[in-house]
Amino acid sequence: MIYLDHAATSYPKPDVVLDAVTKWFRYVGVSPDRGDGPRTRSCAETVQRARRAIADRTGHRADRVAFCSGATEGLNLALRALATPGSHVLTTYYEHSSVVRPLTAMTVARDLRVTRSRSTEDMCRRLAEGEGDLVVMTHASNVTGALLDADSVAAAARARGVPMILDASQTAGYVPLKCGAAVVVASAHKALHAPPGLGFVSVSEDVELAPQKFGGTGSSAALERHPSTWPQAFEAGTPNTPAVYGLAAAFEWIEAQGERALLNAARAPMQHLIQELQGMPDVRLFHGGESHDLPVLSFTHQRFDPAEIGAILAGEEIHCRGGFHCAPWVHDLLGTTAGGTLRVSTGPATTTSDIDQLVAVLRAL
Amino acid sequence: MDRYSRQARVAGIGEEGMRRIRGSRVLIVGCGALGTHAADTLTRAGVGALDLVDRDIIEWSNLQRQVLFDERDAEGGAPKAVAAVERLRKVNRDVELTAHVADCSRAFLDDQAELPDLVLDGTDNFPTRYLLNDWCRQRRIPWIYAGAVGTEGASMVVRPDGACLRCLWPEAPAQAEVGSCETHGVLGPTIAAVTAFQAAEAIKLLVGETGTTGVFTCDVWRGRYQVLPLADQPSPDCVGCVEGLHPALAQRPVEAVTLCGRDAVQIQPDDSAPPDLAELAAHLHGTVEDLEQTPHVLRFRVEEVRFTLFPGGRALLFGLSDPLRARALYDRWLR
Repeated sequence: MIYLDHAATSYPKPDVVLDAVTKWFRYVGVSPDRGDGPRTRSCAETVQRARRAIADRTGHRADRVAFCSGATEGLNLALRALATPGSHVLTTYYEHSSVVRPLTAMTVARDLRVTRSRSTEDMCRRLAEGEGDLVVMTHASNVTGALLDADSVAAAARARGVPMILDASQTAGYVPLKCGAAVVVASAHKALHAPPGLGFVSVSEDVELAPQKFGGTGSSAALERHPSTWPQAFEAGTPNTPAVYGLAAAFEWIEAQGERALLNAARAPMQHLIQELQGMPDVRLFHGGESHDLPVLSFTHQRFDPAEIGAILAGEEIHCRGGFHCAPWVHDLLGTTAGGTLRVSTGPATTTSDIDQLVAVLRAL
Repeated sequence: MDRYSRQARVAGIGEEGMRRIRGSRVLIVGCGALGTHAADTLTRAGVGALDLVDRDIIEWSNLQRQVLFDERDAEGGAPKAVAAVERLRKVNRDVELTAHVADCSRAFLDDQAELPDLVLDGTDNFPTRYLLNDWCRQRRIPWIYAGAVGTEGASMVVRPDGACLRCLWPEAPAQAEVGSCETHGVLGPTIAAVTAFQAAEAIKLLVGETGTTGVFTCDVWRGRYQVLPLADQPSPDCVGCVEGLHPALAQRPVEAVTLCGRDAVQIQPDDSAPPDLAELAAHLHGTVEDLEQTPHVLRFRVEEVRFTLFPGGRALLFGLSDPLRARALYDRWLR
């Protein structure tokens, strides 16, 4: 199989990640903060190492990093806490359903006003003019790969004391996350190359979230009342420790490879694909087009529906995706509301030959 | 005057036969031409309960032969099973009539609260017939095969202890081999001839007769009607009758899923042999519009629906969002 759906989840994961997950199952088996003894302590250290690696990237304190089941849970947590009744929320057309749907659900219940922007310039202007009580934005489009200028938006938000939630699911592992956002959320299983079922919420000291689930935390076990201390307050229930082991190993792997080198490795075959697609008269390409953009692109074809091309490629064991990619708003911008796009996303292990095989099928359509 | 007096007077039925008919439950699979004819006859004959299953809606091209429907049904695109039951309720209020707008899958058959005493084939495709064959054999329920294309038709009683459909044809023939009403048309009287045999056999089975052994075939254009002799015993090579296997019951079902946010349905085929795209293209030539075969797909259009078929049997249907309707069209055009 040729795997070109890294924007959905990276594959394959590095061996060191698989080894770390296996190590937990074979030799560790316990959760941090549950019990005492060397094994529990060593486990807590590994989890702490992963927390610190996240904090290093977001610029927040390590104890203000909470693990959760994924970016979806993290975004729900942050939005429920910060989109207070009557808020005016500034966001972009590029958002994933994990932002669009919580906002839609809360719009009526909390009387929110939601303004979507086409560009970060527009968001900065609105913030400067006094608009908005909350910013929530993706760091990059999961459809076109366009990297958004989160730094400028975060600066404009900070200048007004408006909290900002950054969805870094597409960028964590490829791009620095220290843009100054009050809340950074990401999933571990994309460019961070860790297992699915894990994400994180990293929060600056000047913003407070409210736990959305209550339960056992390992600490303060005798108390009826849910603790309010970070990060335990946000991690009720048995944590996904094997995935955190994978993430800790993934951070070491990323460190060794170099974040920029990994992005470049994923971008090289993408660059090749862009050149090929530009030579196909039936193809309309949607890609950020800048050198810093993510290795994700979309296209439509004049004669074939994205679902048809997706199925043809699946028949050739080339795995990409046709459709809307859980980003319902961006298709208004791209003019692709009828059938969405065919999305191709590469990873560091993608080769030029993978792309050549994809191109051969597209040429023979 | 008893509404069944003329029927009860027929030798072989009598009061006891009538009592049996009134106490029976019949399942008719498919509510098209065959199904509506048979349902009309059995409702008038006074069966106790009649279950009609069909997943499709009524179209104008159905009215020429599907007797329970009228122009209003076609205009409204009513579900066939529902419209048929509404009509039949006016025919005989004594019959417990149930409409099932559903795909006749193994799951559907297994979910029936009460097992039927008899199953009638009113389908337009062989995969469903083989499912009926295997399900009925496993549960030892008699069923009556029926099929009609153009001016020719066939029907056969399949008793739990007699020869089954697999004894005749071990595997389901491809639709392209046998033709379909879409490609070869169908004459109304062909349906009447086939269902006359099928419904008469149904009544015979319900009153306790054994039913005719052999395959009824007819060509109403040439005026030929005959029962081809058939061994009373199952074929010694039949996997169902001899080895007790029921391949259609083990099959992964065809799955139809509406594409997220789209007016389109994707069909994942079952395990049966995928269609030969070139063969199918030749078969459909002249019947469908915008027929196109590329190295990777076969595409064509029928009215507002665009079909794309892939080599493994996977299909995309654009221009509709109801998975049941898509399944019906898939079986009609692509199998």
